[in-house]
Amino acid sequence: MSPNDLLPRFKAQYDANNQEFSISGVVRPQAIDELGPSIALLRDAIGRVRGVLYVNVRRLTQMNNAAFHAFSRIIIDACRARPDLKFVVITSSVVGWTSRKFGRLSGIEPNVTVEEYDSQFYPGQGFLEEGGFVPILRTQTKMTWRHERAILPRHGMRPGIVMADICCGIGDFAVLVQKEFQPSRIVALDHSISSLNYARRVMREFDIRGIEYTYGDASEMLLDEAQFDLVTCRHSLQIFNRPELILKELYRICKPGGRVYITNEKNSHCLGEPRAESIRWTYNEVAKLFGHFEMDVELGPKSRRYLMEAGFEDIRVETFMVTNLDGDPQDFADVIAAWADVYAGEMATRRGDGPEFVARFRQGFQDHIFAALHPKGYAGWPIWVASGRRPQ
Amino acid sequence: MGPVHHDLAGEPTFEPMIQIDMEIRTFVSAWRHCDYVSTYMARMISQNRSDSVRHSNLFSSAFNELLEVAFRTRHADGALACRVSRHGATDRIELTFPCLPEERQFYEEAVSQVAGFEARERYLNSVSGDLAPSREIVLLELAVDYNATLRVEEADGDAIKLVVDLPLEGLQH
Ligand SMILES: C[S@@+](CC[C@H](N)C(=O)[O-])C[C@H]1O[C@@H](n2cnc3c(N)ncnc32)[C@H](O)[C@@H]1O
Repeated sequence: MSPNDLLPRFKAQYDANNQEFSISGVVRPQAIDELGPSIALLRDAIGRVRGVLYVNVRRLTQMNNAAFHAFSRIIIDACRARPDLKFVVITSSVVGWTSRKFGRLSGIEPNVTVEEYDSQFYPGQGFLEEGGFVPILRTQTKMTWRHERAILPRHGMRPGIVMADICCGIGDFAVLVQKEFQPSRIVALDHSISSLNYARRVMREFDIRGIEYTYGDASEMLLDEAQFDLVTCRHSLQIFNRPELILKELYRICKPGGRVYITNEKNSHCLGEPRAESIRWTYNEVAKLFGHFEMDVELGPKSRRYLMEAGFEDIRVETFMVTNLDGDPQDFADVIAAWADVYAGEMATRRGDGPEFVARFRQGFQDHIFAALHPKGYAGWPIWVASGRRPQ
Repeated sequence: MGPVHHDLAGEPTFEPMIQIDMEIRTFVSAWRHCDYVSTYMARMISQNRSDSVRHSNLFSSAFNELLEVAFRTRHADGALACRVSRHGATDRIELTFPCLPEERQFYEEAVSQVAGFEARERYLNSVSGDLAPSREIVLLELAVDYNATLRVEEADGDAIKLVVDLPLEGLQH
């Protein structure tokens, strides 16, 4: 047996500000006394709150019937003793059994409601998930792959490793990695069911093996600790308002001695010639637009700091520029056109931008396309790659 | 995926996936074995499910309850055998463990009640009841929350075999 046996594998907390009791981890006691302090905490919380007590089980990965009964009884008794009190149980859409099991409570006591939490989506997600955008995502990955296939081995990629790709999108990166590097196993996680369905269809149609797609929330994954030699998370830290929470999870699932690899942009540094000024103006505005929605598409150069603050060592950072000279310039132009559609379309509308702004905003994308397709032109999209090693 | 199809011959064929055997003495020497065995086997058999991670979590959750039932056996001699086999969307757990004759009768009754109409209601009553969940309630919960079907089969000697079919692949979204 491991020394871990002596550590409790669950945690109960009460947050008085939010009137929220939360319990997380694996709760499989043999006898109820093992739950003593957590039960006392729940009782105490019930004694203190007014109105609503939130019971957060989003990060509960396992709970046996004995423990479920113990906690349920306290909630049910409280409902009967204090009809003024309401309970809202927050379950996760990822952990299938929680909504079913806790859902029963609302059938027993009308003052208990059960809500399934779903991570908030970033603006544009709906659009990106529509079938029409898939070819663009693929083109984007094709363009970055030309660079990354050479870069990845410097960040821990090698045959036979066990890896995870978190926020895998439509899974095209996982497939390319599988073909090129033959890791022994790839777990690819995303929170978009339609993207995963697409990824699974591709896997079936092309008879690809060794990739396991899973639905999950990157900020609280069902994946076990210290499992992966390499954890990749591409173009995604930048869409979360608190990237450090995601990094913490990436760190947790990475093996000691393994590496976490992230790629991010600095959108204001997209460039082109001719028409450099207009292009620069527009991409500066892109950064502000994402900022408005609490996303930091300027994160690239901050990767080093984020990795250090998350506890990684041996941090390596490099940049590459995707340009109109890699492959077909039309590919580059198509990607820009798709960005323009989302950024100057749905996102600008949602921010409430006027027609004059939108026209100028669009113009910069047009000019970037112009530069990309111009026989003497140059257009670029810079990417920051960074990785760090989890200490032994 | 659809339900298991029973062909004319009756039982569909379940392909064996994995089996673990151990002395019941060893098994009951530490509570944590339930968790270890359920987690390990769940991981092994879920790799080729459409969502391996979530399938494994669900499977472990259901299987652990069965192992906790076996853990409480009052017969301390013999072997525990866990076998998992698969037919389409359904995983079958066959759990064989030693038990006293009166326990065997208890399981037979419990399992026959699971199929009954009021299974759900009895489960709900137990959640709001005073008593910690009995072995019967634990079996009931598998049917109510995991759509499991259960039956008891003959086993050699002083033992019982619980056969539990779990259609987990269809339970996720
Ligand atoms: C900008 S895309 C990057 C996709 C992919 N890595 C690529 O490079 O093409 C961001 C991805 O993060 C996913 N995502 C958003 N929120 C998430 C969450 N809470 N957990 C997991 N994935 C999430 C989205 O569904 C989307 O596929």
